[in-house]
Amino acid sequence: MYQSLLNRRYLTSKVMPLLAASAVMLCTAMVLVVWSVMGGFLSMLLVSGRALIGDVTITWPTSGFSYYDDLATRLEADPMVEAASPTIETFGLISLPDGRRDGVMIKGVDGPSYNRVTGYADTLWWRPLDRPLRKDAKRQDPRLEARDADLLRRLYEGGLVLREIERGSDREKGPLGRRPAIVTGIEVTGFNYRAPEGYYLPARRRFAKADGSDEFVGGFMPTQSLTLTVLPLNQRGGAIDVVARKLPVANEFRSGLYEIDRKTVLIELGELQRMLRMDAARGLAGGIDRYAIERRDSQPAGAGEASGGTEFFPEPRTTGDQPARITTLLVKAKPGFSPDQLSRRCEEIYATFAAAHAGEVPPAEAMRTGGQIATWEARHADMIAAVKKETGLVLFLLGFISLTAVFLILAIFWAMVSEKTRDIGVLRAIGAGRAGVAWLWLRYGLAIGVIGTIGGGALAYAVVLNINSIHEWMGRALGFQIWDPKVYYFTDIPSKVDLDKAVIVLLGGVLFSVAGALWPAVRAARMDPVRSLRFE
Amino acid sequence: MNDSPAQVVTPLAGPHPAAAGGPGFVLRAQDVHKTYWMGRVRVPVLRGVSLDVQRGEFVAILGASGSGKSTLLHLLGGLDRVDRGKGRVEYRGRDLSTLSSGEQDGYRSRAVGFVFQFYHLLPELSVLENVLVAAMVRWGRWGYRSRRAELRARAGDLLGAFGLGHRLTHRPGELSGGERQRVAIARALVNGPDVLLADEPTGNLDRKTGGEILDVMLGHRAEQRGTLVMVTHDPEVAAKADRIVRLLDGKVVGAAGAA
Repeated sequence: MYQSLLNRRYLTSKVMPLLAASAVMLCTAMVLVVWSVMGGFLSMLLVSGRALIGDVTITWPTSGFSYYDDLATRLEADPMVEAASPTIETFGLISLPDGRRDGVMIKGVDGPSYNRVTGYADTLWWRPLDRPLRKDAKRQDPRLEARDADLLRRLYEGGLVLREIERGSDREKGPLGRRPAIVTGIEVTGFNYRAPEGYYLPARRRFAKADGSDEFVGGFMPTQSLTLTVLPLNQRGGAIDVVARKLPVANEFRSGLYEIDRKTVLIELGELQRMLRMDAARGLAGGIDRYAIERRDSQPAGAGEASGGTEFFPEPRTTGDQPARITTLLVKAKPGFSPDQLSRRCEEIYATFAAAHAGEVPPAEAMRTGGQIATWEARHADMIAAVKKETGLVLFLLGFISLTAVFLILAIFWAMVSEKTRDIGVLRAIGAGRAGVAWLWLRYGLAIGVIGTIGGGALAYAVVLNINSIHEWMGRALGFQIWDPKVYYFTDIPSKVDLDKAVIVLLGGVLFSVAGALWPAVRAARMDPVRSLRFE
Repeated sequence: MNDSPAQVVTPLAGPHPAAAGGPGFVLRAQDVHKTYWMGRVRVPVLRGVSLDVQRGEFVAILGASGSGKSTLLHLLGGLDRVDRGKGRVEYRGRDLSTLSSGEQDGYRSRAVGFVFQFYHLLPELSVLENVLVAAMVRWGRWGYRSRRAELRARAGDLLGAFGLGHRLTHRPGELSGGERQRVAIARALVNGPDVLLADEPTGNLDRKTGGEILDVMLGHRAEQRGTLVMVTHDPEVAAKADRIVRLLDGKVVGAAGAA
């Protein structure tokens, strides 16, 4: 009872306990903020990765695999599967209006099914907005302009199907009557300026031409055209030739993953199949091909040449249809099923699919053993494990640093016990036992720990809630940027307050405080009452 | 922790030995030796002191500085222990050295009350809290809570009787020396101890205030028929005692009734 009374009085009449509580508060807040940011980073990595490619991918890189429609149908018939979407992933070049050529990941997608698997529609940037972004208090986002609503609507629809946007003259054609188009990541062209409030403003850039003159290029990329260059490969992985195509930009997307937004271009699947020679084709043998003609022009007459100098070309012979191919099938699980469950189910479905198309598609065993049917997490296990290890390491180091709080509390308590030596003697003289005196100081440490950790928890919560605003303010006021999206994938600092982790940190803070008070408490309890009373 | 009422073993709480036909003393010191160590130097403070204190008696222990009178008081009050095997201190016939640590704590909180020369009030607590803190120690958390009103009333009555009724919420730093000592006396008395042990209670006060403090203690003693053992080096204060025990260099050199 007297412990509680004295603790209250000590807490309110001394500066030192406030210092100790502040130390606990700062350490607690530091660990909580870092853990929240690292946890948020990992969580956003997993969520974003899954949002971009679904729960499971079935991949056969380079040459791809056929009959994907059949596989998608089989998958979508399964109660575990929400949707499946065929895609092709390849590397290529994009030529930008200012003469730059940049290496990009070109992804051929079927807009509607891709949206069902990934929520792609939500990533399309140019679309009409009813409400401004959270930080855009002045409503400066161009997407809020009412007079551009129709254009933005057409951009959105064009982006969904990856077709050139609808114009007045081709309205009756429908989307499939319009030219295939591309949708670039919002950071690909470098012509979009990201305002601190989160919206983008198209910007023009001065471009010096070879003749010495210059012009302004860039600006609003949708409605303009860009050239994509790809290198088709045959089924053995050999290069065929280089294909370049100028395509209209239907829209731009923002996934929130900087690396994806900076390096990815989406294109209508059929168009990329044609560019990569992966579209449906009829196989011919013994007929004319361009290379044979070139050989004939430069070489002596061969077996196919008729006598008397007359050229002879045999009739081509049909060898069979070559179905269209893709490299990756994205699969999304229905709610309630985990990616791992879905991955196992996909392996089973693929096995029946491979049996039905034996010899024409990669065998199921090769798919399984090669890890070609995998969850996003499994496919990026190394990166995710690295982030997890980094999180663990940082927390260990911060926890170790937080040990300084233990010693700070120990030092403060040591000084306070010394200062209160005579009081301890008085308490012993009126009958307080050693355990009671020890509890007085342990309870005091506990109180400081509880106050410090509650303050630290509140501080951390406030920081985590406003971390991007704080970061932007630091950038403006102090001129430095801690979070570089080019390094950390995400354009915003992610954070996630996990209650379990918060409880661990808060309990740790209290424990550290009590640990810091332990030795001084034992010292106080062991004090000789007579000497304590004579202490000056 | 330590929130249970301070323990007092049966012999301490039982009937007074005198009432059962035994000796009439409350406290007895028999051939007590006490030695302190100053580094490696052995300093004998008490060298075979014997003393009986009868119930209701006022005993003054008179001696010069360093004669061992405060040490004797600490031994009588259970704050310190005699040298192992060299004498014993008894309270109502029970050897204090045989008490456990918890029993000694109980002895100090129930059987005796200390008053010190330098008051030794807790500066963060108010006057009333300084008195009540002894009751909190005595009764523990739940015992105190169940008697809170009664104990607060008793503390208030004591302080009121000592002229401090209007100072209950004041801090010790806001009181005069005499007032502080009266608070300390109230603290020592709040648990109704058998024996009041006062270590030069007037030594830090001017003569007039010291006289008032002495009057307070003697008045209370007369009212409650309590036992008072007071250490002093002031012959005038000692003269008011029933009996004076003189200490010199750790030995009793004379005992006599007051003049």
